[in-house]
Amino acid sequence: MPRIDLPQGTLDLLILRTLALEPQHGWAISERIQQISSDVLRVQQGSLYPALHRLERRGWIKARWGTSENNRRAKYYELTKTGRKQLEVEKDAWDKLTVAVAQVLGTAQG
Amino acid sequence: MFRDLWHRMRAVFRRKLVETELDEELQFHLERQVEKYVQGGLSKEEAWRRARMEFGGVELAKEECRDARGVNFIESVLQDVRYGVRTLGKNPGFTAVAVLTLALGVGANTAVFTVVNGVLLRPMPFPEAERLVLVSLTPRGGPFEWQPGVSDRDYLTFREQDHAFDRIASFTLQATANLTSAGDPVQIPVAYVTTDFFPTLRTNPAIGRGFLAEEEEPGRDSVVVLSNELWKERFGADPGILGKTVRLDGISRSVVGVMPPGFAFPNARVWVPLKIRVDEHNSFTRPVVGRLKPGVTPQQARAELETFAERQPLGPGESKRDRRPQIIPLKDLLVANIRPSLLVFTGAVAFVLLIACANVANLFLARAAGRGHEMALRSTLGAGRGRLVRQLLTESTLLSLAGGACGILIAFWSVPALLALAPAGKVPRMEMIRMDGWVLAYTFGISVITGIVFGLAPAFHATRRDVRETLSHAGRGVTASHERMRGALTVSEIALALVLLTGAGLLLKSFLRLRTVNPGFSPHTVLTITVDLPDSTYRTAAQMRAFHARTLAELARLPGVPASGAVNLLPLGGFLTMGTFQVEGGRRPPGFMVDKPCISPGYFRAMGIQLLRGREFTETDNETAPGVVVVSQSVARTLWTGQDPVGKRISMEDEPKPEDWLTVVGVVDDVRQRGLATGSDPAIYQPYLQISSAFFLSHMTFVVKTASRPESVAAGIRTVLRSVDKNQPISIASMDTLIAATTAELRFQARLLTAFAMVSLVLTIVGIYGVLAYSVAQRTREIGVRMALGAQGADVLGMLLRKALVLTLAGIFLGGASALALTRVLEKFLFEVKPADLSTYAAVAVILTLSALAACYVPARRGMRVDPMVALRYE
Repeated sequence: MPRIDLPQGTLDLLILRTLALEPQHGWAISERIQQISSDVLRVQQGSLYPALHRLERRGWIKARWGTSENNRRAKYYELTKTGRKQLEVEKDAWDKLTVAVAQVLGTAQG
Repeated sequence: MFRDLWHRMRAVFRRKLVETELDEELQFHLERQVEKYVQGGLSKEEAWRRARMEFGGVELAKEECRDARGVNFIESVLQDVRYGVRTLGKNPGFTAVAVLTLALGVGANTAVFTVVNGVLLRPMPFPEAERLVLVSLTPRGGPFEWQPGVSDRDYLTFREQDHAFDRIASFTLQATANLTSAGDPVQIPVAYVTTDFFPTLRTNPAIGRGFLAEEEEPGRDSVVVLSNELWKERFGADPGILGKTVRLDGISRSVVGVMPPGFAFPNARVWVPLKIRVDEHNSFTRPVVGRLKPGVTPQQARAELETFAERQPLGPGESKRDRRPQIIPLKDLLVANIRPSLLVFTGAVAFVLLIACANVANLFLARAAGRGHEMALRSTLGAGRGRLVRQLLTESTLLSLAGGACGILIAFWSVPALLALAPAGKVPRMEMIRMDGWVLAYTFGISVITGIVFGLAPAFHATRRDVRETLSHAGRGVTASHERMRGALTVSEIALALVLLTGAGLLLKSFLRLRTVNPGFSPHTVLTITVDLPDSTYRTAAQMRAFHARTLAELARLPGVPASGAVNLLPLGGFLTMGTFQVEGGRRPPGFMVDKPCISPGYFRAMGIQLLRGREFTETDNETAPGVVVVSQSVARTLWTGQDPVGKRISMEDEPKPEDWLTVVGVVDDVRQRGLATGSDPAIYQPYLQISSAFFLSHMTFVVKTASRPESVAAGIRTVLRSVDKNQPISIASMDTLIAATTAELRFQARLLTAFAMVSLVLTIVGIYGVLAYSVAQRTREIGVRMALGAQGADVLGMLLRKALVLTLAGIFLGGASALALTRVLEKFLFEVKPADLSTYAAVAVILTLSALAACYVPARRGMRVDPMVALRYE
């Protein structure tokens, strides 16, 4: 199955959603996004980290160093309170957008 | 907000830690990915390869992370600065030339701005000076139009009625008085001011007090306020000065105050109370300063003044349109005359800076070609284009800041030189000129802007090249667009230099023309001594005539003086009395007015004014003899065309009685009275011995023709004057100096603009040289091939000359067109030269072309000596 690249701006939403389950390090986030999306979405791994740093600076996620599943030091990210709110806001916006786009497409077909 | 700041600070100050963490984080990711692939059955090498490929550029990701943290900006600027300093340090020659060029440009701008800031921009040194304005209600189109003022009559009425001003005050400009009680007699500038003057300016004397309201009344008005500088120079800063007596024009006045240091408004050294009274016949017009009430705008004040002007009764022959109500910033009283000159200089010096910018941009372009490899490498390693542009801009800004720092030094030295060049007494507010924070801020500002202006184009250019191509060519490839850009820069340089050279040429030509004007007299070896006889000592015309007669007799007896005389209004002396007269049996053409000097016998000979017909005055033309006059040639021609003027009669009275008729006894050459540039003025001379009005006798200039060395006679002249009246201040000036003073302004403008033009010419030559030398260096191989194929040195020379000529001609056409548009601003400074003067343009074009060819010399020689073998092997 061909993978599709992430639309602009949706990476933040996916990261927040992934971290809503449990704190994770960068590699696991990218793995998780791919697994959940059944390997359809491809996250350009190089662009994941700038996004994480950006979210951290905005205060939506915070980072701490922990021990990974293979006993290595790894940087774990977790959602903050404001990040949780932000996730709701972005999810809402996303839902509205997809509904709207679907409607437009549906109308155009009919 | 705080978190954001904390993140930024952490990244700046704990840079190492943040960087290590970033490294570790990314490393962990890659290793984890490799692990996954190895578990999936890949070899270790294959796993690493795939992991890296999927990840993309690690350096790029790091860079983006730094950006994302938002700390990257400060961090990378610091990094750029460090890197820039290192790069510039590695090319000391390049750096030195660039810094020097910029220092010249920025320095010249800083110097001119220092003067502009002091003279035009800095506020008047009074509290809330922005609320001080001049009130002016002058007649439109009259001889006094340029001088803001209000007639005494209007002043008194307006002061009663106005609502816009807290206070208003009237004062005199340019009055002088003889100070006789402190050391040698000296003539000093004095301001007669109404008693509201100091309160209006809200400036009180530092010692003592200002004037009381009743001190304008006669009998109580013998008081004076001194300037701090005069108090120090003439009274040794005497702490007990208050109450002491000072003699001004022979009148004793008691000192009531000493102003704070630096207070000299309006260019005075002492202030004396002025009583405004309305006289039936004459009405003085004086400047009036007002302090606007809080909340009143100058526009509202103007509206009030307009209403006032409309309500005023009109004088005979006056119409409403004749009056011009104006509210003018106070500073304009002092600086209105010099503003146009200063603005021209500011414009000219900006051109110099632009040329410097073009030059340094060219240098940068040349260097960028050599750095193509470096740029390509950095961009492959993940540096974005914006990052590279910023790096190059940081370097150019560093350079321009260094140039600016040197420029401040240059300005520091050149401001005094600039002021020394300026005509004495023609630069107002000189005491305000200094390098203050504004000047430094200005220099900093133009340095940064300069750095960006000359750095931007080369920066984009250098980072535009195709990475792969450059890398494979090992950075030696040069694009045609690169060379086009350098050509364009050089053309604009030439055009800018041409505009400056043309401006300087036009002014220079005007100055030379003005110098060759025949003033109608011969000024060489003539000394002048001007006296102002105070009313208090010389009460009658007879007393004044006695002073003049004694002085003249004594001067005539001096050795080495072939001729001497006296005149009340010296030609080019800055005074003019134009008047009407009646012609016996004829009619004076309407509007024909004449200058009416009173002279002594011998004046024409002393001044070398040619007697064309009849005779000059003699000692016997005195008050008992019949009235006589000598007319100038243009008067004779205008009144009695084709007739002998000698024997004709005129009168200075409007309705002459029989004894008022004066007989013409001689005709002399016309003299330029007002200025060399303004043409000859018709004059009717009268013998001073027949003048009965003290007004025409109190101010007198003695002119002494000396046989050989004027300075040997000067001592004798002093002795004579001291023996006649020991209280007279004596200042001797040669007529040559006085004439030079009238052309000093034009000479100053011409010199300064020439200096700017020369700097720009040198920079332009350097620029042309740079382009050609670069072009030769780049084409070494091409030249080598051509020579190997049989081309001669002359062909190479021809190729370079063609290139130089194309650039120069393009610059000349572009510059010529701009000069035609821009030199129009010089029009009012020019004398008998049109702004579109063809010969000036031609001369400038020739100078530029020759300079361009000269700039070809070194590169051409280098090109002609290219050894084909070496050149080919080089590639």
